[in-house]
Amino acid sequence: MSEQGTMRAAAAQTPTLRQALRGARFWLVLAAIAVVVVIATLIIRGAGDAASDIELGATNPAPDGAGAVVQVLRDHGVHVVEAGSLREARRATARDSHATLLYYDPKTLLTADTLRSMRALAPSIVAIDPSFAALQALAPGVSAAGVARHSTNLPAGTGCTDASAARAGTITASGSAYRVSGDAQGCFSTGGGAWAMAQQRTDGRLVTVLGSTDLVSNQSISHAGNAALALGLLGADETLVWYLPTLADVAASGPPSLAELTPGWVTPVMVLLIATALAAAFWRGRRFGPLVVEDLPVTVRAEETMEGRARLYQRASARLRALDALRVGTITRFARRLGLPESASVSEVSDAAAALLGRDPREVRGILLDSEPGTDTELVALTDRLTALERAVTRASVPGGASASPHEATQATRTTNTTESDRPGE
Amino acid sequence: MTLSGRFVTLLALGVVPVVLLGREGNLAALVMLGWVVFCVVLGAVDALLAASPRRLAFERMLPARVRLGETVTSDLLVTNLGSRTLHGLVRDAWQPSAGAPAQRMPVAVPAGERRAVRLGLTPRRRGERRVERVTVRSRGPLGLVGRQATLLAPGRIRVLPPFASRRHLPSRLARLRELDGLTSVMVRGQGTEFDSLREYVRGDDVRSVDWRATARRGAERPDGGENLVVRTWRPERDRRVVIVIDSSRLSAARIDDEPRLDTAFESALLLAALASRAGDRVDVLAYDRRVRARVQGASGAELLSRMVDSLAVVEPELIEMDWAAVPAQVDTLTRQAALVVLLTTLDAPGSSGGLLSVLPQLTRRHTVVVASVTDPAVLAATGSRGDREQIYRAAAAERALLDVARVSAAARRLGAEVVTAAPAELPPAVADRYLALKAAGRL
Repeated sequence: MSEQGTMRAAAAQTPTLRQALRGARFWLVLAAIAVVVVIATLIIRGAGDAASDIELGATNPAPDGAGAVVQVLRDHGVHVVEAGSLREARRATARDSHATLLYYDPKTLLTADTLRSMRALAPSIVAIDPSFAALQALAPGVSAAGVARHSTNLPAGTGCTDASAARAGTITASGSAYRVSGDAQGCFSTGGGAWAMAQQRTDGRLVTVLGSTDLVSNQSISHAGNAALALGLLGADETLVWYLPTLADVAASGPPSLAELTPGWVTPVMVLLIATALAAAFWRGRRFGPLVVEDLPVTVRAEETMEGRARLYQRASARLRALDALRVGTITRFARRLGLPESASVSEVSDAAAALLGRDPREVRGILLDSEPGTDTELVALTDRLTALERAVTRASVPGGASASPHEATQATRTTNTTESDRPGE
Repeated sequence: MTLSGRFVTLLALGVVPVVLLGREGNLAALVMLGWVVFCVVLGAVDALLAASPRRLAFERMLPARVRLGETVTSDLLVTNLGSRTLHGLVRDAWQPSAGAPAQRMPVAVPAGERRAVRLGLTPRRRGERRVERVTVRSRGPLGLVGRQATLLAPGRIRVLPPFASRRHLPSRLARLRELDGLTSVMVRGQGTEFDSLREYVRGDDVRSVDWRATARRGAERPDGGENLVVRTWRPERDRRVVIVIDSSRLSAARIDDEPRLDTAFESALLLAALASRAGDRVDVLAYDRRVRARVQGASGAELLSRMVDSLAVVEPELIEMDWAAVPAQVDTLTRQAALVVLLTTLDAPGSSGGLLSVLPQLTRRHTVVVASVTDPAVLAATGSRGDREQIYRAAAAERALLDVARVSAAARRLGAEVVTAAPAELPPAVADRYLALKAAGRL
């Protein structure tokens, strides 16, 4: 144990968790900054985003929004509640029974039934450009009269008892016009007995119908007395419910979606399987320590220069040069085999070979020196004759007629008798 | 950190409770989340309970040297300095050519104890084979999660040239002994040394009878014959042999799947073994533009061990040989006349120009042998002449042989002996040339 007490743990190369965190500090800080920036951007943009693109949206600063009038009303202490569905509108009005309800539904999402129930929500309802059905349900005494004939500087008119209208004086608003009958009254004549604004009071509930979105939209609120009218109508009560119906008001119908048909556990199981696949990838992919580096030796095949030279001959069709190389080899071996001196000339070797074989010296000389190959076929034929000649000389010069091929025999002489292996003509 | 297959299986088993319990979407998601958290917590506990892979000490028991082709055992002693028993796997990260088995070794080391991890190494390459690191993967008691660390535990083993040509040594030593004690048929003064006088036996050359010594003995034998005395000779001793191994770019070429350099080592080892037995002093130099290895002033068994040791780490360098500096290098090794054996490459005349230009300087004072490997593939190529492509190949091969022959002839004209042979035959051929020179008294 005393020996082990002196032992030191081997130096670790794998960083500990703390060292890894410290090493990655720069990137961690960078990532944190990036996350903060993204969140801040989302918050800043998200504030305007939520309802910004809805027409007459209470927070929409665009020309067709109504952010301006809502902001002014809020500044003057009016509690503006946005409602996206009838349920939210009902909840808002239930809190304060003296509330004004603004209703604008260009897509006519509400049915007649919901409209009738909406009428009971607030003592004062301002409906902007309502549909025919909405007009029927909210103010039966008011009927649509098509597009207003005049739209600029419409005077309130003497028959109008509404205080806000009187204060506004004139308005500039293009849109629908209305006729009135019974106890309903019209303000701001557009000519031809039609009015840009109509009011009807039933059961103590006042319904004001405005023919144009110009009266509240950011773009045209500042025209003539538009602002005065809007502020007067909408700011009468402490609470203003800004109700723009959305798809949430539409009762769902149609075939069930895929999500409703699948069992509830399918998505969690898929998530679990993805997690399992990740774990399996980590299990199999985790390397058992770093790779080991080793410098490998170069591998040079020695005969590559020879192969290269062969391909050069072939590409250039250097038939004579190739054949001559073979002939020089053969002649060298002949000279050695026939016991001729190194200085022997080619014709001497040729004649000696012819004499040994008892063949025509001119024929042997033709094979060894004279004939030139014109085509590849001739080259092959000449090479064959050269090889045959060499084989014959080998057989004739070896006592007992050894059957070994010329090349095996020459190989043996070349590896052992290298001192005497000088070639003629050098 | 590492995960095991068990952890993955456990995670996958979470499908069962999620399907069984989670009829509704939200509940199923909760069950799934709960299962994942359960697995992660279990894994974390397992990792915390695993022995630390860092609190380990290593020792190596390793032979310093091994011949190429032989197998040695490498023992890595793992001492657990931690407080928990280490269960896990060890990877001893040898270089690939050290020939360590690929599998990881399982270990179980109780706290404060020591265990050996034994590997069989069969190096595949000559030179220095190293190990730097040991990676330990420690498994937790549940076997779900492991901890992994890589620790420094350096070690090295020197892989020596195989010296396969030593099988040629006994026959050459026998030839050397035959040289010893021969009555000389040589003309006197050719350099073989006088050894002793002995009685004539039938078969001795009558020219080696020493008449003066015979006369001094005077007395006649009882059977009437003369008591003839002959001189005997022995090969010269204490000659210098300088082996220069060319480690330049041409030595990198592989012939018969053996680099020229390795053939040169084989030749050098055989020649050195033979020459040191014959009583000559052998110096070895591996050179290209720098001295890569040098063995000087060693003899006997020490010579061979120093040679394999210093040649083991020499690799072919991809630079041109600086022949002009070789005479000076030889002069630093010996001042007297020596047998200089150049183990190099005789190739095209262009690449051998440097060698040929310094040969006169060397041959003026020394006996020079130039040894080069020939390529059996080239010889074989001259013989196969089947089709057009093969004919061109045969022509190129003949051309290459002619180049070698021309360079060899040029070297001979400059006074050097030339030995060329296939890789397997070169070492004995060089040894035979040495014996021939020795017998001729040309050392």
